[in-house]
Amino acid sequence: MNDNKKVVDERTNQTSDQSQAENSANTPAMIEIKNLHKYFGELEVLKGINMTVEEGEVVCMIGSSGSGKSTLLRCINYLEKKNQGDIYIEGKKVVETPKAINAIRQKVGMVFQRFHLFPHKTAIENVMEGPVTVKGMEKKEAKELALKLLEKVGLSDKEEEYPAMLSGGQQQRVAIARALAMEPKVMLFDEPTSALDPELVGEVLGVMKDLARDGMTMIIVTHEMGFAREVGDKIIYLNEGVIEEVGTPEKLFNNPENPRLQAFLGEIDF
Amino acid sequence: MELFSEMMQNLQEFFEVVFIYIPRFIPGVIMTLQLSALSIVIGTVFGLTATLFKMTKIKPLEKLIDVYISIVRGTPLLLQLIFIFYALPEIGITFSPFISAAIGLAFHSGAYISEIFRGAIESIDAGQREAAISLGMNKWQAMKRITLPQAFKRSVPSLGNQFIIAIKDSSLASAITITETLMLTRQFVAATFNPWPIFFVAGLYYMLITTILSKALLRLEKRLKVYER
Repeated sequence: MNDNKKVVDERTNQTSDQSQAENSANTPAMIEIKNLHKYFGELEVLKGINMTVEEGEVVCMIGSSGSGKSTLLRCINYLEKKNQGDIYIEGKKVVETPKAINAIRQKVGMVFQRFHLFPHKTAIENVMEGPVTVKGMEKKEAKELALKLLEKVGLSDKEEEYPAMLSGGQQQRVAIARALAMEPKVMLFDEPTSALDPELVGEVLGVMKDLARDGMTMIIVTHEMGFAREVGDKIIYLNEGVIEEVGTPEKLFNNPENPRLQAFLGEIDF
Repeated sequence: MELFSEMMQNLQEFFEVVFIYIPRFIPGVIMTLQLSALSIVIGTVFGLTATLFKMTKIKPLEKLIDVYISIVRGTPLLLQLIFIFYALPEIGITFSPFISAAIGLAFHSGAYISEIFRGAIESIDAGQREAAISLGMNKWQAMKRITLPQAFKRSVPSLGNQFIIAIKDSSLASAITITETLMLTRQFVAATFNPWPIFFVAGLYYMLITTILSKALLRLEKRLKVYER
């Protein structure tokens, strides 16, 4: 909490976003999850998750490691196969055929903790890969799109660099551009700054803040509580595969009800 | 002094024979090159196909590839060649000596190459595949565009090793009447009763081929490393 004024500014911004979402109450939620269960062998890691993400909403998932937040995120774009429950995207129930799942993945962009850039391709080729291979876009058109996106994440001078030549923060920003190139409706972030040196965290969070400001629907698994408080419209606290508390950042961070959340927040310095 | 001049004369005779036989080896060397090239190219195709079959996770296909690899690894190449050339005709499958040798060598190196590819593919971080499919690629697109190019790069050193083995293995084709470098060596030795210079020339040719290939592969390896820090 080192920049109070900025926080307030962000807040006003978001309230308007939120009211926008509320105004369009007739449109179906961007993502709705009903009674989702996930097992790894005998171990039940998600125990009946119900949640809704509205269009333009920024949802931050917090919780200690092993709470199931990354697994939940990965279930949304079917990198993990759920065992039970339903996922609705834009009001439509996802049918689990390979084709439908591919279509979902084009709508739902994913950013990984460890970036997973394609090391044999340059920054711009990484960004072009999805549109060219999946959408069949012309290379010239894809290149223009990729240049625009690299500029958006502040890396227009790095287009010809291979990932190995980029810093962690730069790699993650290319990874964000790569996901954006598919023009997704939702972006999932799986601890996007956890693998970064502390001084590189800010540049990635900055790009994510810009995205939130542009109205992108985002679900973010994060340990950056300051960021969650500043950018999140809704915070979800997950513990042992159960959503224990949901609410606005003010409520969750200032007046947490759940004793486990109180303890969790007590352990973290932010 | 006398000993010295005798040595010099022997050496001179040795190299005279060497120079006479260097050109005479050329047809055999060409045969060695042809067999090696076929063994490497067809073997790589076999190997890649076997690996991809195994990746389909279709049980009968997987089993078939396992059996193929076990047979090739568990029996000597010489036996495999002799089997193709002498035993298969018994059940009506007859190939020319050259085709038998090419099939046998490719079948053999294919199994090893497949294991090299499998190891390389499995060594690629699972996150690469996940990143690819999370963009909406299907699993074959992810394999072709993302996993295989990286795996291929990683497999080049072991692949090069296997290619060199394939060149040397081609000498076993002499056992099924192919006149390649080793067969010529034995014929020339029998004709001249002068094994030293003849073996020297044969060794020289093998060294030449394998050295050129090693250098070429090293170059390829370096070129593929461009994107590594």
